[in-house]
Amino acid sequence: MKRLLALAAMLLAACTGGNPDTPAPSSIQVGTTLAADQSMTRALLGMPRSLDPTLLTDVDAQDVVDDLFEGLTTIGSNDDFVPGVASSWEVSADGKTWVFHLRPEARWSNGDPVTAADFVYAWRREVDPKTGAEYAQALSPILNAAAIATGKAPVDSLGALAIDAHTLRVTLVSPTPYLLAVLADSYFQPVPRAAIERYGDSWSRPEHMVSNGPYVLSEVIVGDRITLNKNPMYWRAADVRVTRVTYYPLDEDVQLSRFMSGDVQFTSVFPASQFQWLKSQLGNQVMTSPYLGVQMLPFNMVDPPFAHNRDLRLAMTMALDRRILSDKLYQGVQLPAYCAVPPLPNYTQQLPVWASWSDEKRHAEARRLYAAAGYSAAHPLHVQLDYPSGGANVADFMDALAAMWRVNLGADVQPYQEEFRVLLQNLRLHKSSLFWNAWIGDFPDPFTFVQLAQKDFAQNFGQFNDPQYEALLAAAANEPDNAKRYTYFERAEDILNQEAVFVPMLYYATQHLIKPYIKGWHANLQDRMPTRYLYVLEHQVR
Amino acid sequence: MLRFLLNRLLTAIPTLLIIATLAFALLHATPGGPFDSAKRMPPAIQASIEAKYHLNEPLWRQYARYLGDLAHGDLGPSFQYRDTSVNELIRQGLPVDATIGFCALVVAMLLGGAVGVFAALRRNTTGDYVPMFFAALGISLPTFVIAPLLILVFAARLHWLPSGDWVYGSITHLLLPVAALALPYTAYIARMVRGAAIEVMTSPYIRTARAKGMPRRTVILRHALRPILTPLVSFLGPAFAGVLTGSIIIEQVFGLPGIGRYFVQGAINRDYTLVVGITVLYGALIIVFNLLADLCYAWLDPRVRLHS
Repeated sequence: MKRLLALAAMLLAACTGGNPDTPAPSSIQVGTTLAADQSMTRALLGMPRSLDPTLLTDVDAQDVVDDLFEGLTTIGSNDDFVPGVASSWEVSADGKTWVFHLRPEARWSNGDPVTAADFVYAWRREVDPKTGAEYAQALSPILNAAAIATGKAPVDSLGALAIDAHTLRVTLVSPTPYLLAVLADSYFQPVPRAAIERYGDSWSRPEHMVSNGPYVLSEVIVGDRITLNKNPMYWRAADVRVTRVTYYPLDEDVQLSRFMSGDVQFTSVFPASQFQWLKSQLGNQVMTSPYLGVQMLPFNMVDPPFAHNRDLRLAMTMALDRRILSDKLYQGVQLPAYCAVPPLPNYTQQLPVWASWSDEKRHAEARRLYAAAGYSAAHPLHVQLDYPSGGANVADFMDALAAMWRVNLGADVQPYQEEFRVLLQNLRLHKSSLFWNAWIGDFPDPFTFVQLAQKDFAQNFGQFNDPQYEALLAAAANEPDNAKRYTYFERAEDILNQEAVFVPMLYYATQHLIKPYIKGWHANLQDRMPTRYLYVLEHQVR
Repeated sequence: MLRFLLNRLLTAIPTLLIIATLAFALLHATPGGPFDSAKRMPPAIQASIEAKYHLNEPLWRQYARYLGDLAHGDLGPSFQYRDTSVNELIRQGLPVDATIGFCALVVAMLLGGAVGVFAALRRNTTGDYVPMFFAALGISLPTFVIAPLLILVFAARLHWLPSGDWVYGSITHLLLPVAALALPYTAYIARMVRGAAIEVMTSPYIRTARAKGMPRRTVILRHALRPILTPLVSFLGPAFAGVLTGSIIIEQVFGLPGIGRYFVQGAINRDYTLVVGITVLYGALIIVFNLLADLCYAWLDPRVRLHS
């Protein structure tokens, strides 16, 4: 449909005498003072399955819940994590015990104070198997959380204790330098005990929900919109400018048409394949920035043809021209990836040596390795590449990969599209030799990426198992000094490169369309943009 | 008549039972479950969720439970939207589809009918070729082409109408989805009515009426219109059921909360109860509208008799 939209736009431009290559004059005049009406419209890629912070499973729900609830920490306006309900905290010398002091002015939307007991209740509810929280493992840094979630320990043994109404002690399994980042996640946000006990599952509906964030839930129409109003009880309500925000769940092409019509002012995505055209039409309304995610192709490390065949894996990894994939298929929005961990502050990415080689040199080496692995034009590699349906541009992307392997190596790779849930089942049964996977980091730390190859990690679909790699991750887990911890991850990532455990392809980028009169957006790695930082300038649509 | 009605309604029950059984069996046979996700959950949590939705029970018991609830009009909880029931989703989505669908079909009938008769009366002239050219175009152009074009022209470029969303009672929000949905139906009805009108207008009793000096207008309205509408009725029965259960393309492009979108999302997410519920609803609507079509048929054409 995106092609159709582009075509239709060009036809329309032709009919109305315009030229699609010429920047359209701006039809919006933006002033410098705040608009009297501080309501705004945003888009989501899908309808959230639940707005219960404990139960949510999707990125779209996270965006809305960021507006409704606030954890001990919260995402700041400079890609950092700042005090939320907690005003201050202390950490023990071994990094395993944290004491948080909650601000007394923090309130639920019904006026009740937010207390340490609310956090203990929320976290116990998250890990209690009876709740059925699909992502309960998010709390695994807390002592006994993993044991409780697997039914091996009682719920009250969780390492979270309310010392008094405004003091919370948290005991961790091991030093967790990224704790302040994860505490801002929805899984760590408090939930209102009284409402949950009274209304059960339906507590998260607008008529029952009590929240402690900058907004309260006003209306939910499944498949159409979610409306939030400013929460006057929020402790920093004076800093919140947008008084009403409406979220629309729309796919990316529809987000674009709604934006062009002015009905949505802030999209969650735009079609990357139209980036250059959008830039020419909308100029600075098109925003992109690095996003904490990577597209990759893991190899099945226990079955032929890739098991015990490092040369073949390396050949496959080196034969791809990532620059072409980035430029031609994503118009430079997603950037080439040569290693698993995306660029992160204070972390040195372990780029393989061939990443800087010329195409000719890299292809030649890939061909040498391919031959060394026992394959040739007479005896080419035949393998199926499994990928899920539904992604934008995905079939073209897979065809491009297959073409590169065919041209650069002579390998016969057959892309095969499966429904996501069917593919997932096949991956868990280890039926696939080569498959598409993508990973969005839960928090800005290399661990969230290197764990993908950890032996017991559920998403280690390729079943990589290396004692040296495990030892490095174990050492990192017990290391309170973050700089030293990062060196362990760097060494681990080096092993991933040497062993070619997966083919890193592209790093994701955030992709937003934002009206010129909506201000306050800032790029951040996790692509979380709470509405409380946004504001609407006076404007006139001509 | 009453016997006919009762008989048709009674035979609907086993039909719906077969539909529910097939939908239930096919969905459960599909690989992947409603709570599968990339992040694997601990077995204790998986077991807890399955127990909550009775997915841990033998399939026959799940089926019996579903049928028991269905008999009471309870379509169960949605697996996808955890604080919402399937009944609520249908209550929310059906009026949206019904409003848009009803308006679209009324527009299509009036416009398509008028154009069809107009063209038939000017057979093999420009007054026939031009409307039939546009009718062929309307049938050939899929909704997923028409709907974005309408948005581009009337919302993105001219800013006359909203590009989507659903606001109860707002005519402006209705116009574009109704136009997009009505266009292919209008074209189809125009061609159908033209064909029927040509056949009727050349039949002996019309010729007789005209030979007796009856004005053309009276001939058409009093004698020709009812037989012209007869084939339309058999088309409109399933068409009404179809538009009531949503046009996925229209809902997707205009971002409307209709049950067509729920159905597709439900199938992708293995929302068993939602998909079976909408399938049964669709079956029931088809049965009801086919029955209504048969009744209209008998009313329009005295030669048709209702037999049980």
